[in-house]
Amino acid sequence: MLATARAAGVASPALAALTGGKALARTEETDLEILSAALLLEHHAIALYGHGLKLSLFPPGLRAYATEFRGDHQGHRDTQAAIMEERGAVAPVPRDDYDFAHAPAGDDFVRLALEIEIAAQRAYTGLISHIRTSDYLLSAAFILIDEVRHMTVWQRVLGLRIY
Amino acid sequence: MRDRIGRRGLLRVLAATPLAVWASGVQARDYTSAAEVLDEIDRLEADLDRRLARVAAAGAFAASVHADHERHRRERAVLRRRLRLPASREAAAPATLPPIDVESLRTVAQDLVHAHAEGLPALGDAAAVDTLARHMVVDARHLAIIQMWGEAEEQRG
Repeated sequence: MLATARAAGVASPALAALTGGKALARTEETDLEILSAALLLEHHAIALYGHGLKLSLFPPGLRAYATEFRGDHQGHRDTQAAIMEERGAVAPVPRDDYDFAHAPAGDDFVRLALEIEIAAQRAYTGLISHIRTSDYLLSAAFILIDEVRHMTVWQRVLGLRIY
Repeated sequence: MRDRIGRRGLLRVLAATPLAVWASGVQARDYTSAAEVLDEIDRLEADLDRRLARVAAAGAFAASVHADHERHRRERAVLRRRLRLPASREAAAPATLPPIDVESLRTVAQDLVHAHAEGLPALGDAAAVDTLARHMVVDARHLAIIQMWGEAEEQRG
């Protein structure tokens, strides 16, 4: 999960909090750090789903799920970018060096999607109690619910245990 | 399904909506205390457990959900003591048996997940938020499974 978070561009102190190495104070700065980390994960997920959809790397029959989940991530991105801007901060933009050139097709691509969903789910779960403001706490909670759905669907598709 | 999409749509709309409107509780229940949140979770959790226990085809899933809920109940009891809240009251079973079709199960499971999400801001305690957020993740997984069950039924016609 941490490797995926790092690949998405998540840096300290949010990364340190995810490893349990640093307790974040519940401040406006922390909210903005969490928002930045979350946005980087959302950008990464949108890019991965976009690549998979563009090159038809998802197995046949799963394209609808992939399209739905990419739409969710776009919604999460827009929501959190709006919160940052509302607070006078600048939202991070997507990295320009995502490297999906060698991404495999079929179930292996679903595994890549599952990895980013697990990373997002764990990041939101690990960071949510550090959020200070009610508006972002509520938004993060509903985003987390979406991430769990994505993760559970891909786990079931791959024949992994879901209960 | 409509409610879930509504939530997602809400998140998208939020990008263009003043946060003051969002913060005022549009479409979200505005809990005022931790006790109110925990009481509602107790009620919905018991309701879902009772319904699932009657679905013969969902035996293993129902048992797994029940085990998760038992653990959650124990952890909420600890939370209630730490926050000096009254102990949970046993939720009375309804006089008539509630429906157990997939859509009804999905609605109750979704209400339970949303009670967690909408309740987090009312807790006012970081450790309590952490505990209930982790419970919410488990309950959201149950909800996703019930949603897939419903989607499979829809596809079968």
